[in-house]
Amino acid sequence: MELAGHIPEERRQLSGADESALIRRAQEGDPEAFEALVRMYDQNVLRLALQVVRSQEEARDLYQEAFLKVYRSLRYFRLESRFSTWLYRVVMNVCLDYLRRQNTRKEVQAPESGDGQPEYFQTVPEARPVLDPERAAHASEIGRRIQAALQRLNPRERLVFELKHYQGLKLRAIGQLCKTSEQTVKNCLFRATQKLRLELGDLV
Amino acid sequence: MDCKEFEEDLTLDLYGDLPPEQRAAYEAHLAGCVHCQAAREEVRGLHEVLAQRPRLEPSPDFLAECRQALVEALDRERLGWPGLIREWLSFLQLPPQLVAPRLAFALSLIVFGFGVGWMLRPRAARVVPSEPVNVTASSLAGADIENMHISDISRVAPDPKTGDVRITLDAQRRVTLEGSLDDPHIQQLLVYAMKSYDNAGIRRDTLDALRARSKSPNVRAALLYTLQHDSNVGNRLAALDAVRGMEGGDDLQQSLIEVLEHDGNMGVRVESVDVLVDRVEKEGRDEAVLSALGRLATSDANRYVRLKCVSALRKLGNDGF
Repeated sequence: MELAGHIPEERRQLSGADESALIRRAQEGDPEAFEALVRMYDQNVLRLALQVVRSQEEARDLYQEAFLKVYRSLRYFRLESRFSTWLYRVVMNVCLDYLRRQNTRKEVQAPESGDGQPEYFQTVPEARPVLDPERAAHASEIGRRIQAALQRLNPRERLVFELKHYQGLKLRAIGQLCKTSEQTVKNCLFRATQKLRLELGDLV
Repeated sequence: MDCKEFEEDLTLDLYGDLPPEQRAAYEAHLAGCVHCQAAREEVRGLHEVLAQRPRLEPSPDFLAECRQALVEALDRERLGWPGLIREWLSFLQLPPQLVAPRLAFALSLIVFGFGVGWMLRPRAARVVPSEPVNVTASSLAGADIENMHISDISRVAPDPKTGDVRITLDAQRRVTLEGSLDDPHIQQLLVYAMKSYDNAGIRRDTLDALRARSKSPNVRAALLYTLQHDSNVGNRLAALDAVRGMEGGDDLQQSLIEVLEHDGNMGVRVESVDVLVDRVEKEGRDEAVLSALGRLATSDANRYVRLKCVSALRKLGNDGF
């Protein structure tokens, strides 16, 4: 499966042969090889998890769940397909399961950390200049509205929208990750956009 | 041509994903259709709004923390329980030939300890729930409630029509106590429940029942206690809401400032700012409140709380912010 340049790649690139050798060693039970594979992709995985769940605690759980699943099923991975596609498919499924659980619980409020602090506010980058506190408070309110609107999308729409709008993946790549056709991804993206237009129309 | 055919193209166009073979027809339609031009601008505007959602980047420390947690989880996965026990034994540096007898001896000690504990366990009298006895509060003396030895409160049900409340509790036997919320016995019991009972739901029901009786000094003290000390965030928020309608006083002001400065939950701190601002607007300038808001505007760990304090100070006419 060819997704080069479309699915996020790690800075420390290996040649296909090197990566295949690493995968084989990991499949044979070499912990260092598995750790090396994790380190090739984990920053992007964590970034995607954080973007979806907006909570460090839950992003850490998704990160761990995804890599444990990869570890448990690595022996079934066949080297004919691309490892990154296979890995992100696992990550996608973990994220989808999380969003389905969220939908079941109907949680629309900002997630809270252990000490009760909503991490959404803690993880907003501080580096952005805050010259006018009221404007910043307004921006924060808009951020909350966007998050709430995204949480009202169904899990698949939400993930497709995240991957397209915020991660910039091509429709074909998203289709490959979701094991679905490009047309289905288009429909999903369109429905998500329409729902967000309705939810956030007053801010436009 | 029907605009519906081009709605999806609008979305794809803004992502640069419109297939070339569809572009000519799409652009021709767009040039002549005011409705689709407006829709396109709306979707473009939506993209601008969505761009305001901050992108969260994992910090190097957070990434390192996740990696460490994963390494530990993978170790557990690789070793399983037998492996972990082996690791533990190797940590204790026991030679393998001594492991089995020592393990057997340790297990027999544990079994013996449990056996002795079971034989010597205190045999407390069991209170068997039975059909509740209905008691009216007015028929009780204060000492009756103090001597009840309450073991559980299972229900607090106020009746908004009559102002009465029914409290089902287990003492020496199950009792349903009924009486007016103004009855001192009822209030005594509810204040006890609100301050000491370990079920957050019952504490909340009690708070809801008592909030309209905040003129009673005991109830007022219990509400302020809940506001500062209840372990449940929802109850602390409900207490904040309850004190909005309370008469002012130093105890209330100090409790609110205490919450603003020390509550561990950011939502409670934000809400306390609103309550303090309302009180200052109602009762006039208060240096202690302004000073607390000023401190928190620069020192609160949470950015949103800091902004909220700045906004409150401006609202209260403090031009320094």
